[in-house]
Amino acid sequence: MSVNEKFGAIRNGLLEFIVLQIIAVEKVYAADILKQLGNTEFATQEGTLYPLLSKMRREGLLDYEWKESEAGPPRKYYELTAKGREQLQATLEYWNQINATVKQLAQKQNAEEL
Amino acid sequence: MNKVITINLGGNAYQLEEGGYDALRVYLETAATRLAGNPDQEEILLDIEWAIAEKFRGLLGNHKNVVANREVSAVLAAMGPIEAEPGKTENPATSATPSGSRTSGAGTGPSGTAGTAGPGPTGSSGATPKRLYRISEDAMIAGVCNGMAAYLQVDPTLVRLAFVFLTFLWGSGLAVYVVLAIVVPEARSPEEKAAATGAPSTAQDFIRRAREGYYEAIKGFPDRQARRAWQRRFKREMRVNAHQWRSQWQHYWAEQATRHPGIGLALPVISLLQGAFNVIWICALVSLLATGAVLGVALPVNVPVWVGALLLLILYAAVAGPIKMARRACYWSIGQLKPGWSLWFLVEGVAGLVVMVALMGLAIHYCPVLREALHNLPTVFHQATEDVQAWWQAQGKESLTLPK
Repeated sequence: MSVNEKFGAIRNGLLEFIVLQIIAVEKVYAADILKQLGNTEFATQEGTLYPLLSKMRREGLLDYEWKESEAGPPRKYYELTAKGREQLQATLEYWNQINATVKQLAQKQNAEEL
Repeated sequence: MNKVITINLGGNAYQLEEGGYDALRVYLETAATRLAGNPDQEEILLDIEWAIAEKFRGLLGNHKNVVANREVSAVLAAMGPIEAEPGKTENPATSATPSGSRTSGAGTGPSGTAGTAGPGPTGSSGATPKRLYRISEDAMIAGVCNGMAAYLQVDPTLVRLAFVFLTFLWGSGLAVYVVLAIVVPEARSPEEKAAATGAPSTAQDFIRRAREGYYEAIKGFPDRQARRAWQRRFKREMRVNAHQWRSQWQHYWAEQATRHPGIGLALPVISLLQGAFNVIWICALVSLLATGAVLGVALPVNVPVWVGALLLLILYAAVAGPIKMARRACYWSIGQLKPGWSLWFLVEGVAGLVVMVALMGLAIHYCPVLREALHNLPTVFHQATEDVQAWWQAQGKESLTLPK
């Protein structure tokens, strides 16, 4: 497994968390999410995002409402449910915890090298 | 001038060039296949259609009504392939909430089970009972060897080689192949295919250990060329040995023949002897498979049927080999084995084979004992593989306890 593939696995694991975070800020529709992800390491395509969104909705993490758009078909605007917020909160805490552990271990190594 | 096709995406009409329409159709069909089993399949497909529609809308203007082929390709490339399971994210997310979502468990019940029930049918290949099927994918002829290889969890090439080897025993390999091709059903449905390969972990273990052993042996050679050279030399030596042995036999018999000029008479006698022996052997095998006893003589209780069959096979090879040699020697002494004889051998072999296959076909039709024997064949086969696997596992356990 190359380094790139490993990073890919990490990104895949985190994508759901990132999407939760984006939707938590404001009601968005799929193209908004893709645009926000586009400039990051998490750049994603519709082919991946739509199945993920539907899975998250099925799990009760998010919900959507229809809104008419000026041009074209109506759009689904996604928002978090209470459960989604709860999961985001828990994931954030867990993420910080992991981050702290990684930093701590890295510091240990730096200290030893000095 | 390109043909234009009008389509309806999300309630709006779009005009696409023909090639673009084909590409779009293939994309959506692929998406539908990938999402098969997903409870939200239709909804996701609709989402995707609408997203494509929105992208098309962005491309069109007052003076542009048709989406060109390359534009369709670009849009589809931007959409990306449909990932059936973004569920790779599922594990980290759920393990990341050890304390958080415990309280809301009641609400998640139904949706959670719906999620896991979706991929259920495809993922439930855990405990499929194994059966012997013909597998036509990657098959050389009718998939018999392929099916047996899947059943035994070995390389199909090995099984094919075994059949080719058996074919040298008076064509028995070919005859067995033809019978199996007729008797064994072909794996058609996914369930049957799963049952054909249905791999219990023990069998996989078996293969793994066999491979490891092979690689351990191969490692002894410094590089590929040395290994190849060794393999070539080994094969050559085997060939030379076999050839020498054969020619010695033939010369011996040929010399005998010059001493006894009446040997021409021996030829039909030997041929008859061989034919009779073949018939007896087949009868013995059939009676063993059907009743567990060889022509009325029962096997010892603790000897499985397949060992008996194997012993019969060895006995056959031991007796039939010399008879065949003698026959060849007769030919040799009569005609000094001119090139024309090899053609005669071929004709004789083919004729014998045709007769045998025809006899077997008739026998299967009219002889219930033989039918029963064939019916028992898979069971015997199964028992043999299980015995060998058990033995192998015992070997594996022993070697594990040895220090490396």
